[in-house]
Amino acid sequence: MDLNETQPAVVVSSPPGRISLRPMTLSDVDDYMVWATDAEVARFCSWEPCTSREEAIKYITDSVLTHPWLRAICLEDDRPIGYILIMPVDKIRKEIGYVLARKYWGKGFATEAVRLVTAEVFKAMPEVERLEALVDVDNVGSQRVLEKVGFTREGVMRKFIVMKGSVRDMVMFSFLPTDPFK
Amino acid sequence: MDIDSCTRKAVSSSPSEKIHLRPMTLSDIDDFMVWATDINVTRFCTWEPYTSQEAGIGYINSFVLPHPWLRAICLDDDRAIGSISVTPVDSIRGEIGYVIGSKYWGKGIATEAVRLVAAEIFKEKPEMERLEALVDVDNIGSQKVLEKVGFVREGVMRKFMCLKGNVRDMVMFSFLPSDSLL
Repeated sequence: MDLNETQPAVVVSSPPGRISLRPMTLSDVDDYMVWATDAEVARFCSWEPCTSREEAIKYITDSVLTHPWLRAICLEDDRPIGYILIMPVDKIRKEIGYVLARKYWGKGFATEAVRLVTAEVFKAMPEVERLEALVDVDNVGSQRVLEKVGFTREGVMRKFIVMKGSVRDMVMFSFLPTDPFK
Repeated sequence: MDIDSCTRKAVSSSPSEKIHLRPMTLSDIDDFMVWATDINVTRFCTWEPYTSQEAGIGYINSFVLPHPWLRAICLDDDRAIGSISVTPVDSIRGEIGYVIGSKYWGKGIATEAVRLVAAEIFKEKPEMERLEALVDVDNIGSQKVLEKVGFVREGVMRKFMCLKGNVRDMVMFSFLPSDSLL
């Protein structure tokens, strides 16, 4: 089921006014560059910081607009401060990922976005039995986001993924349709 | 290191449990059918018990012979009582799997076979950073095997895998080149 086709374009958080989620467009490129050029933001991501507007346009065109499920995280002015996405792992498992501009860290925005998206995923994709997230052991901020939403920390998978040439230990989290939100 | 030359060698265990590993061939078909037709053995396998020798021969031809790393587990008479394999997950991870005829359960045979593999595989595959195993939560016997060898129980992955139409919780174990065998 393609969420893009069946869902309204905008999802608003509750209480209203904090963040909203919407598809990203090329006109978001300048806001995209704010986080995409930031090495601190890119630190635990698979990608290197973006170095030019052309590069950003290319990446948005090739990877963002084509993504099966990706949403800009926007504040009241509808400008993106990051994005959140869902990737298929297999028929019953999806993986959640998110990135936020550093200026907006520590304010609960990522937590809200994850909470919103998690609720949406199980409504829109009834075949999904498990939503999971893999977080670098050193990415404590992101681990806290998932814990605050109510994800279960299942364990540390040692030497699990190659990230920028290093083999990293990753913490596995999951949320099931039957789990309660915190 | 040439993996082909390694496959022709029998790897022997220490005196306490007299098993050795060697490549499996079509001439093992009758012994294969002993465990492959046993519903107790296949309980936690993704496959149903085999019902015809023809199907068994098909399995050996299409799965066993081309497998990058699969060995028959043999007693002194060199007859196969089970098999053990390491399947690449990606460039740095391999997954271990094993099956033993139920007549030979409870004698430490699987433990010895897994120990032999854990001791040898990183020498044969130096690119491997992690040997992992996924075991059904209810498969206590197999969990004990890995624990006795020295695998680390990393956690329970909830609703992780579809096994014969049911979504199962699976325990993730791993063994790294730097880990100690027990």
